[in-house]
Amino acid sequence: MNKVTSKSKLKLQNVSKQFVAPRTGHKTLAVTGVNLEIQAGEFVCVVGPSGCGKSTILNMIAGLDTPTSGSIEMDGVPIRGPGAERGVMFQDYALMPWQNVHDNVGFGLLHGTPGKGFNPEQREQRIRQHVEMVGLTGSEKKYPHQLSGGMRQRVALARLLANGPDVLLMDEPLGALDAQTRLILQVELLRIWGETLPREERKTVIFITHEISEAVFLADRVVVMSNNPGSVKAVVPIDLPRPRAEAVRAHPVAEQIWGMIKDEAYRAIA
Amino acid sequence: MTTTTAAAASDSSRWSAVFHATLVPVLLVLAWQAWSMTLPANSPAPSPSRVVAAFVDLVATGGLVQATLLSLGRVLVGFLFAMVVGVGLGALMGSNVRIKDNLDPIIESFRPIAPMALLPMAILWFGTGTAPSLFIVAYAAFFPLLLNTIHAVSRVDRKLVLAGMTMGIPRPRILTKIILPAALPGVLLGARLAMGVAWTAIIAAELAVGAKSGAGGTSGGIGQMMFVFYAYSIDLNGIVVCMIVVGVVALLIDRIFRFAEHRLMPWRHR
Repeated sequence: MNKVTSKSKLKLQNVSKQFVAPRTGHKTLAVTGVNLEIQAGEFVCVVGPSGCGKSTILNMIAGLDTPTSGSIEMDGVPIRGPGAERGVMFQDYALMPWQNVHDNVGFGLLHGTPGKGFNPEQREQRIRQHVEMVGLTGSEKKYPHQLSGGMRQRVALARLLANGPDVLLMDEPLGALDAQTRLILQVELLRIWGETLPREERKTVIFITHEISEAVFLADRVVVMSNNPGSVKAVVPIDLPRPRAEAVRAHPVAEQIWGMIKDEAYRAIA
Repeated sequence: MTTTTAAAASDSSRWSAVFHATLVPVLLVLAWQAWSMTLPANSPAPSPSRVVAAFVDLVATGGLVQATLLSLGRVLVGFLFAMVVGVGLGALMGSNVRIKDNLDPIIESFRPIAPMALLPMAILWFGTGTAPSLFIVAYAAFFPLLLNTIHAVSRVDRKLVLAGMTMGIPRPRILTKIILPAALPGVLLGARLAMGVAWTAIIAAELAVGAKSGAGGTSGGIGQMMFVFYAYSIDLNGIVVCMIVVGVVALLIDRIFRFAEHRLMPWRHR
């Protein structure tokens, strides 16, 4: 729809990753021959059966893993390691248990590169703004163990956004939540991402999920992966208007994607 | 109405618990006193009333307080030595497998050597002053600190470190802001255990050093006081006073550490 503003943000060329077990020397090919180009401001969901290397790809983009072969570039520059311009939201949130909500949201601002160029008041202001954005004002002094799963997830989202990354890498961020909280947070995620904003003002998102209906509801494009070894099977554009309506969840495209991975999904659990 | 009866009920059950917990000790002390009253007046056997009298006497002369403070001071200094070396080395060994592999054999070969087994050597090397006691205390406290720190650091959730890296936090800050706070519960547990064995070791060390320095010796401390009561004045009541003081101090040390754990780690307690 917004073809005019299309600008490549991330480029994966022929990326493969092989893991070698340190003791046995046993080699596993986690992903192979992945080619993917992601536009600035695009929301891309990655779905596929267990063990298809979804997380491996995300970790390589984050710079926490290096490809065995192939290249990954951001804005035309090869990725060499982790950096705050590529924020990661981990599946179990990875909140610091000894820090309260306020300090968790501000962790990168207070200790890492995202805090550069801010004076203390501006940092406080930015923390407050992000705590408010996820609706946790009043809970600043609470520790993670005092929060529900949904609230922890919001803290993680606030921390991610407070760091001001260019690209959001989300590894099944809603996976640990109950079904209803999950539906609510999907809508909230799209609102915070800026669904109603023009595309050039949105962040680039790569979002891993098991749930196909979730992928269809959120994404501009769904990357369908298959396993043994992990590779991209298809890229399905979701050309549905934004803001997304609840009815999108039952869209036939979900059925079509499920058809692509059904056999492998069954085989993966057999 | 119901709340007052409930409060009264819990009050009476608390008193009944106190009653049952103190019943046997009180009966034993009474029996001890009754038995000692059957003895001739000049008998050296300790009795509760004479122990109390000896205690009042030792406090009045200031000797007991001075000896206790001297022993406590030695424990603190020796403990601080052990803390610096044990936690420092433990952090290195816990975070770097290569360092651990290099140092493990030495540490594991010294660990079974009880602190008391080093006493003869320590006295010959360091003489009969404070130095040998400090050495023994530091040695005894070192192992619980080291082993608990290694364990705590190596068990830090790797996700937290990865999260820090993706927030652009430099390596030294990852150590001080993520790894050490995450390992703090284990380190404090090690400190509490170390303080316990340090207090046990100081008494034994002062006893032995006192034996070497003799009645007029200036080695001091509550252990030496006990040795003088044992070998020179043969004052059983004084020995019992020292035993009780040693026990009470050990209990206080443990309580102080538990309180500190509470204050330093509010996130671990609901």
